[in-house]
Amino acid sequence: MDGCQSTEGDLHVVAAAHHIVKALGATKNLTDDLRKILIDLDTHLSMITSDTDSKGGRGFVDVEEQLKQAERKILSWESDPMMIWDSGPREASEYIATVYEIQTLVDGLRRLSVHENREQKELLHRAMSVLQTAMSRLEEELIHILVQHRQQFEPKHMSSRSTRRDVVYDESFVSVEDETVKETSSRNCPSDEIGECIVDLVCADVIPDIKSIAKVMFTSNYGPEFCEAFIGVRKEALEQYSAVTEELSIEDVLKMEWTSMSSKMNKWTWSMKMIVQVYLASEKRFCDLVLGDFGSVSSFCFLEISKATILCLLNFGEAIAMGPHQPEKLFRLLDMYETLADLPQDIDTLFSEEASSFVRLQFHVLLERFGVSSTAAFEAFQVAISSNGSLYPFPGGGVHPLNKYVMNYIRMLPEYCNILNLLLKDQHVDVADQVTDPDNGPNLSLSTSCPMACHLRSITSSLESNLYRKSQLYKDEALQHIFLMNNIHYLVQKVKGSELRLFFGDEWIRKHNGKFQQHAKNYERATWSSVICFLKDDNPGSSSVSKSTFKEQCKGFRIAFEEVYKTQTSWCVPDPQLREDLRISTSLKVILAYRTFLGRNLAHIEDKCVKHTVEHVEKLLLDLFEGSPRSLRNSRRW
Amino acid sequence: MNANEYQGSFLGRISIRRNQVVVMDAIHEQELEDIELFQKHVSDRFSELSSPSDDDAILSISWLRKLLDVFLCCEAEFEAILLMDRDPYQLSKPPFDRLIPELLDRAVKALDICNAVTNGVESVRHCQKLAEIAISALDQKPIGDGEVKRAKRALITLMAAINLDDKDGTNAKSTERSWSFGRRSGNKDRVAGQFRSLSWQVAKNWSAAKQIQSTIYNLVAPRGAEASGLPSPIYTMNVIMIFVMWALVAAIPCQERTGLPTHFPVPKQLNWAHSLIGLQEKIADEWKKKEKKGMAGLLDEMQRMEKSAQSLIDFTDSFQFPGDAEKLQEAAGHVAELTEICRIMEQGLTPLQMHIREVFHRIVRSRTEFLDVLEKGSLPVI
Repeated sequence: MDGCQSTEGDLHVVAAAHHIVKALGATKNLTDDLRKILIDLDTHLSMITSDTDSKGGRGFVDVEEQLKQAERKILSWESDPMMIWDSGPREASEYIATVYEIQTLVDGLRRLSVHENREQKELLHRAMSVLQTAMSRLEEELIHILVQHRQQFEPKHMSSRSTRRDVVYDESFVSVEDETVKETSSRNCPSDEIGECIVDLVCADVIPDIKSIAKVMFTSNYGPEFCEAFIGVRKEALEQYSAVTEELSIEDVLKMEWTSMSSKMNKWTWSMKMIVQVYLASEKRFCDLVLGDFGSVSSFCFLEISKATILCLLNFGEAIAMGPHQPEKLFRLLDMYETLADLPQDIDTLFSEEASSFVRLQFHVLLERFGVSSTAAFEAFQVAISSNGSLYPFPGGGVHPLNKYVMNYIRMLPEYCNILNLLLKDQHVDVADQVTDPDNGPNLSLSTSCPMACHLRSITSSLESNLYRKSQLYKDEALQHIFLMNNIHYLVQKVKGSELRLFFGDEWIRKHNGKFQQHAKNYERATWSSVICFLKDDNPGSSSVSKSTFKEQCKGFRIAFEEVYKTQTSWCVPDPQLREDLRISTSLKVILAYRTFLGRNLAHIEDKCVKHTVEHVEKLLLDLFEGSPRSLRNSRRW
Repeated sequence: MNANEYQGSFLGRISIRRNQVVVMDAIHEQELEDIELFQKHVSDRFSELSSPSDDDAILSISWLRKLLDVFLCCEAEFEAILLMDRDPYQLSKPPFDRLIPELLDRAVKALDICNAVTNGVESVRHCQKLAEIAISALDQKPIGDGEVKRAKRALITLMAAINLDDKDGTNAKSTERSWSFGRRSGNKDRVAGQFRSLSWQVAKNWSAAKQIQSTIYNLVAPRGAEASGLPSPIYTMNVIMIFVMWALVAAIPCQERTGLPTHFPVPKQLNWAHSLIGLQEKIADEWKKKEKKGMAGLLDEMQRMEKSAQSLIDFTDSFQFPGDAEKLQEAAGHVAELTEICRIMEQGLTPLQMHIREVFHRIVRSRTEFLDVLEKGSLPVI
């Protein structure tokens, strides 16, 4: 239509159309779009009539008038202390409509041959200036809306998994106690329930407002300013939230002592899940809702908002993976590894663009590193067992702290069965205890032949060897057997009483039951054979022995018995059932022999050489293995 | 070599464990040659860096990438000399029982610097985005008040970002300066257009300057007998690592650079060090000059950007529609310069970050290898 000569008739049509448009424009309840169309039409029609009058004429006055009005509206807001979007939806949509008006004027003015006409040039210039003012204001409004309507993000499960007892690796092994390591190994942690969950980070009601600001800014080519403001506010919001994980330098992490490192690793595990699966997923959706119409802008903004935080989290992971791989770290490492292993799909979805490939890459590298670290920590654990040496025998012959540490440690491993099987798949292991148990049902990972089961058996085998070496430190053979009996019994009990039994299998349990029972028998033989020797009947045929022989036998038995009593009351059999069983077994042998002996020599019993009645001996036997040394020396004068 | 010589070195090997005396002549000589070659390479590479072409001004993005390449090459050679066919026990004895852990400590510090610098590149990228806004505003024809206002806003934000006090990512003073439009005083939200916070994503008390300072601490050139053995390349590698990190920190904004040391205690008589020392002094001079004016990083592109941005701000200050033809022409020139810089940044910043990341990974890997060797060397000889 530009530059064409219109006839009188055409002009009338145009004027009529113009009139209709103006009338329509005055109706209420116009949508933004409809209003825009009408304004557009209005301006076009103004332009047509202005063309016919090269000096500007009536049409041009319209344009100038429109611009004046728009300018007035825009500038009036500049001196108003209120925020436009706080003042109500009508004000807001009027403002936006005004901006569109200006845009249309600008477009129209540009389409005309602007270079010749000075007035047009000035009008254009003026319009652009007003436009800039409006854009600047819109930016401010945007920030205000985003900040005012931010939703507090309260993650429901703030508690970390610190209910799990940390197994502390300590030279003296004193920090591990059986009683406190109860059923905290249950996998029932709230953080497992997170999954993907999208929340509203900004009140959903204001999204249309933000979208309308976005639209008007982008169509005026002020998209970059919109993005700057938007990214700035959203980034700050994210960083305030993720201040949960403080930034630490790698140097700091490497120097950290265990308890604070452990709690930070815990926090990290939880944060990582929360941030990736909930916060970032929600942020991405928010960006899509607001900027989905503008192509790649949405993912660009999301990346800018989130990358610092996600990289910071990954950096902490790197620092941990770099550290020395001590055994006590294993569980935390496995937690972290598992967390990462749960997230690749989420990460790939959130950071799917080419531009964000470096995030994906760093993530996958870290995942691999954790696998390596976890495996290394596991190996360190195994090495620590075999290299744990003792210079002195463990007093009392009870359960050795190394045993407790190892068994309590491996009791927690079945929880990580899937991950460990994956990690240990290609690891070679010497399985000394080949078991031929058939698989326990169709579940392969619970079978006694899965990688983890093999490693577990290798561990206990190594432990047994170590315990055997320790037992050699005892001079007293009987004590050696007590020690081994106690420790193997403990081992078996731990396996039987936990998920470990599924991995070790019945065959192994049976075999080891046999082992400690054998040691019990060996103990008995070592201790009591020589004592009972005194009660032997050398001449089974004759009815009784001479008095002096009897006296000697009595004395010999008593001295030997009291010696055993003195020594073995200080020995320890911690397990009450085992202690009971051992006593009963011992008792049967000794009491039987003693009673028989006395019975055979009834004639001499009145003599004072029999100092202990059968009942008394029985009673004294109960003092054995209590761990508190006693002596009969002082109790009676010989 | 014939059987006798072979036996000689085998026996010589055992005697190391017993007498701690290096006896293996043949192997030792090879080592000396390798060390000399290594140091010659170092010298050559740094002398190349000292005479850059036009495209690669010192401390420009592409020059920094060349520097990182030099580091990677030197590190690879160094690792080969130290670790290949090396008896682990040798490295756990004095003086290596002190030198190697010191080297590894410095490596960890270098890792933190890599992270901080990678982060710093983000703030450079941010400046690029702001410059691009200014460019798109001033590229309009004709330029009017609106465009000028728009450009000015972006440029002022840009200058504030460049001259930001490294200490605090959101320095309130500078942001107030940047926004000349008085706003609703009751508005508790941020002042409109406050540029987005450059939280450094590093530990709060971490200081780049202090970090560099602590890497230089205790850096002592080997003397006497040590100077002709393995301690020498270890020292060389230390110096290279420190220099590279120092140059990165000088160029790219990162947290807390006030007090960045400008002097390296490297003896001038070391042959291989001449070019490196020369470069270091040149950069240090620039740094001292800049320190007085403000804390802009020395990155070449940023310096150029600062200049053009300042000129354009002056232009916008004195602009009146329709504008003076001569001034418009000048402004167009600056816009073209900015456009070029933005183009270089667009192409070069991400690769720079990738490069720094590569260096990071290499240092991590190398540290792990050294730790493995040390561990092997410390196991008791059964």
